[in-house]
Amino acid sequence: MLGLTLKSLLARKWRSAMTALAVVFGIALVAGTYVLTDTTNQAFDEIFVKSNEKIDVTITGRERVDQPDGSVPAFSDRYLDEVRAVDGVSDAAGSVFTPGSILNDKGKSTGAPFAPQFISSVLPARLEALNYVEGRPPRKPNEAALDEAAAERGGLRVGDTIRLVGTGAALPYRLVGLTRLGSASFGGSSISQVTLPVAQRITGKRGEFDQISVAGKDSVSPEELKRRVAAVLPESLLVETGTENAERQASDVRDGLSFLTIALFAFGAISLFVGSFVIFNVFSITVAQRTREFGMLRTLGASRRQILRNVLVEGLVIGLVASVFGVLVGIGLAEGLSALLSGFGIDLPGNSLVVVPRTVIVSFLIGVGVTLVSSMIPAFRATRVPPIAALSEDILQAGGTRLWIRGLVSFVLGVAGVALIAWVLVGNIEGGAGAARIGAGAVCLVVSIAIFSPRLIQPLVRVIGWPIARFGGLTGKLARENSLRTPARTAVTSAALMIGIALVAFVTIFASGLNSSVTDVIAQNVRGQIILQGPGGFVEIPPEAVRDAEVVQGVEAASGVRYTQARVPRAGGTAVASVDPRSVDRVLEIDLVEGTQADLRALAPGRAVIGQKLADEAGLGLGDRFRPLTKTGRRPELEVTAIMASGNLDFLGEVVVSETQMDRDFGVKADFFGFVRVKPGENVEKVKDRISRTLDRPYPTVEVLNQDELEQRQREQINAILALIYVLLALAVVVSLVGIVVTLILSIYERTRELGMLRAVGMSRRQVKRMIRFEAVITAVLGASAGLVLGIIFAFLMGIPLEGEGFVLSYPIPTLLAILVLSALAGVLASVYPARKAARLDVLEAISYE
Amino acid sequence: MVSARGLERIYGEGEASVQALDGVDVDFDHGLFTSIMGPSGSGKSTLMHILAGLDRPTAGAVQIDGVEITDLDDADLTQLRRDKLGFVFQFFNLLPVLTAEENVVLPLTIARRKPDQEWVDQLMETVGLADRKTHRPAELSGGQQQRVAIARARVTRPSVLFADEPPGNLDAESSHQVLQLLRSAVDEFGQTVIMVTHEPDAAAHGDRLIALRDGRLVHDAPPVSADAVIELLKTLG
Repeated sequence: MLGLTLKSLLARKWRSAMTALAVVFGIALVAGTYVLTDTTNQAFDEIFVKSNEKIDVTITGRERVDQPDGSVPAFSDRYLDEVRAVDGVSDAAGSVFTPGSILNDKGKSTGAPFAPQFISSVLPARLEALNYVEGRPPRKPNEAALDEAAAERGGLRVGDTIRLVGTGAALPYRLVGLTRLGSASFGGSSISQVTLPVAQRITGKRGEFDQISVAGKDSVSPEELKRRVAAVLPESLLVETGTENAERQASDVRDGLSFLTIALFAFGAISLFVGSFVIFNVFSITVAQRTREFGMLRTLGASRRQILRNVLVEGLVIGLVASVFGVLVGIGLAEGLSALLSGFGIDLPGNSLVVVPRTVIVSFLIGVGVTLVSSMIPAFRATRVPPIAALSEDILQAGGTRLWIRGLVSFVLGVAGVALIAWVLVGNIEGGAGAARIGAGAVCLVVSIAIFSPRLIQPLVRVIGWPIARFGGLTGKLARENSLRTPARTAVTSAALMIGIALVAFVTIFASGLNSSVTDVIAQNVRGQIILQGPGGFVEIPPEAVRDAEVVQGVEAASGVRYTQARVPRAGGTAVASVDPRSVDRVLEIDLVEGTQADLRALAPGRAVIGQKLADEAGLGLGDRFRPLTKTGRRPELEVTAIMASGNLDFLGEVVVSETQMDRDFGVKADFFGFVRVKPGENVEKVKDRISRTLDRPYPTVEVLNQDELEQRQREQINAILALIYVLLALAVVVSLVGIVVTLILSIYERTRELGMLRAVGMSRRQVKRMIRFEAVITAVLGASAGLVLGIIFAFLMGIPLEGEGFVLSYPIPTLLAILVLSALAGVLASVYPARKAARLDVLEAISYE
Repeated sequence: MVSARGLERIYGEGEASVQALDGVDVDFDHGLFTSIMGPSGSGKSTLMHILAGLDRPTAGAVQIDGVEITDLDDADLTQLRRDKLGFVFQFFNLLPVLTAEENVVLPLTIARRKPDQEWVDQLMETVGLADRKTHRPAELSGGQQQRVAIARARVTRPSVLFADEPPGNLDAESSHQVLQLLRSAVDEFGQTVIMVTHEPDAAAHGDRLIALRDGRLVHDAPPVSADAVIELLKTLG
């Protein structure tokens, strides 16, 4: 029997290949994601292990409050002497390692737009992990070293001048050495080393360290040394062995990248889900077409189990073949994904691709699993073919499931789907667990729709097919009737497309809402006509830049805004912003619920303006005092002097304090935005040019934008992410188009005799082609319109809980219509091959076709 | 030996119901070639389906070699087909992906039994396809395909061989060959054959002719000649 299965599978090579293709993309995305993340993680592991090779114990600031950028507070350099005095320490040194900008002499960045750049201090040779491949470490205040790869990217050599920017102005340094960290790759990021005092000055960490590295005497184990060091240091410092530190950093990076992994897996899952619809359809049609064959096998003594196995083994083989190709394509895709991500500014390090057995095993399990599950229902349907089917002249369709069972299953799945999604939204479940539940909920909903939709197909196809039947002549009418002939088949085929289009519509609407919300927030809250921000709006800017801008001719006021996270009692992690009270009311428009603008101007250390949401959550009112825990471990006492409206996409967080307090207690020394108000009567563009010229030399990284340009930048960023999502969703859409192609070809094969008859009574090849094309368009438009409706509903539902954050949905009608038109065109594209095949049928042969 | 008692078969319910069989008692002795005839709607196909366990009677009983088959479950019926029944269909129903010989031994493959190669060779010889063993159905004529189907039906040495309009789609020459093969299986190997047909010529090859009308047995005698059968059919309408 196994031989028979394989032979009949081979006899339907073409069909089997298309079926396999339906899951290859999904498997490839899963395998590719594994390869990519394994490669990246291995690269980071190598970086951190290598960095700590000579270090037995590390001391770093302990993270008190989660920061979005993962930064931990620096700590006082006075602990170094205490560490050096510990018995067993042979060498200890403090160092700085802080994000900054590395520029060439002309002020141009040496890296990719968003790639992280770091400024660090040189360690004594006994502890230093970087090797000098050329030149020597910096010894004088005006010297710097750079990693070899960054130098190569920037076309820099020893003896050239580079400029480094931290929290102050860009200063020139002479390049005296090029470094390398073993064979590790940093991806797109780069590191410049300077002497310790210089590093502390550039990064605004005078008298502070980011880390103390300790080497122990041979007689002491790192664990013992760690115990001894920890004993002399306060709780606010984290003491680890070099190995522990490397592992923690690697796992932090892994956690940081997990959103990417989850997102890529999600797209893989979507593609597989769509693929499972295609497989289900192909198997259903094949089983229906083989009804007589199954009946005959049954009369020859085949048991139901043998028939079941026959179909499932086909699924198994197709799954295996798809998995093999999926893994191979996935390995290639890892390169492609990496290139795609770096095109969007996410540069991941990695040397050679890492393919571990888990990648292959999981890919195979998924590939075979999805195929088997999708072929399960058709396989069971095959077992219900009675032996008598062998004797009947008409092909009996094996009985479908009863209507009420369908209705019940559909209803239960629908309710389960809604419940799962609601659970996440109401219960605020975050991360992978939330995404998994949303995914499961969406799967339940879509399957529920797919099960019930054959009932809806009749009226829907009537409506969608109306223009085609009305203006497409006889071929149009026939096409519409053909789509209705097997409603279940049409339903499943278009449901596959529906999934992809629903997601496309959903993200399109969401991105559009985000765009208009950002525009609204800027328009409503920013009175300053000119905005200063770091490269791409990802990096902070030196506060001196804002101060310098303030004295430019034509400027009325300039004020910086800083951000951090703190923990407020009874409310948890809260976004905190700081403003400069001298000018805040001139550059910003803060909507106060209680209190006056005078309270804003009087914002001094010890006072805070809080959001309505926080006031409700933490039970705070005017005059109340609270003590937020800051990232540096302090708990400054703040008195509520005004309450502002919440929302606005957390533009000002939920707590606003003065700049002085931010600097002193929250440990944030750089501005994120600078807002500039132009004097009345001055030309904004001229003032903007003056600011640009003033800031260009000392602060080359600062972007000077007007409000339109800022909105434009924001839109570009959102659209870049949108483009990335489109590319990944395209995989799912392509799979569903493959589904349309296969279904059309199979139904043409079924209708060979009928097509021959139509040709015999005078239908031209062109008419046949047109008929098939119309059928494809009906299926595609059906799926696309259902997808659009579903996408709009999802976006609407998801938007409700976000309204409080200042998120306003907007529906980009022209884009949505374009999606519909593109889907119809995709339907035409999908019909090209089937139509040609149908038109090529030999009339005589078709009529006598058995 | 196949034996049916009080067979009734009603399709549908209420007003729309159709009585396909209305109290049929009939026995088929071992080693006999029986033809079942009757106008369309007479119940001849229903009778064969029920005798072969492909359909269940509304009332009555069928025994094959002393085993009551009307209340067997699917698994037992499957076993029964493997052990005791052979089928020849109007549309040959060969698997296009298998060679002629593979098609012949298919019932044994399904039952996971080892084919008796001597017997298979003999069958291929008998049906005149010893030199076509490795041909696929597409490379064979209709008559040759039906001969493969007869060899396939006989390969398990079934107690009864059911044939449903075996010459249905064949020309006169091939049709004659196929009927001759059934005839010789009965004569030389004592094979029991029950055949449904509407062709008087075909019926004339049998040892016994039974005819049905409106679900009742109306004729049961050896066929005299094709012409006599035609006359009989006329009387049945």
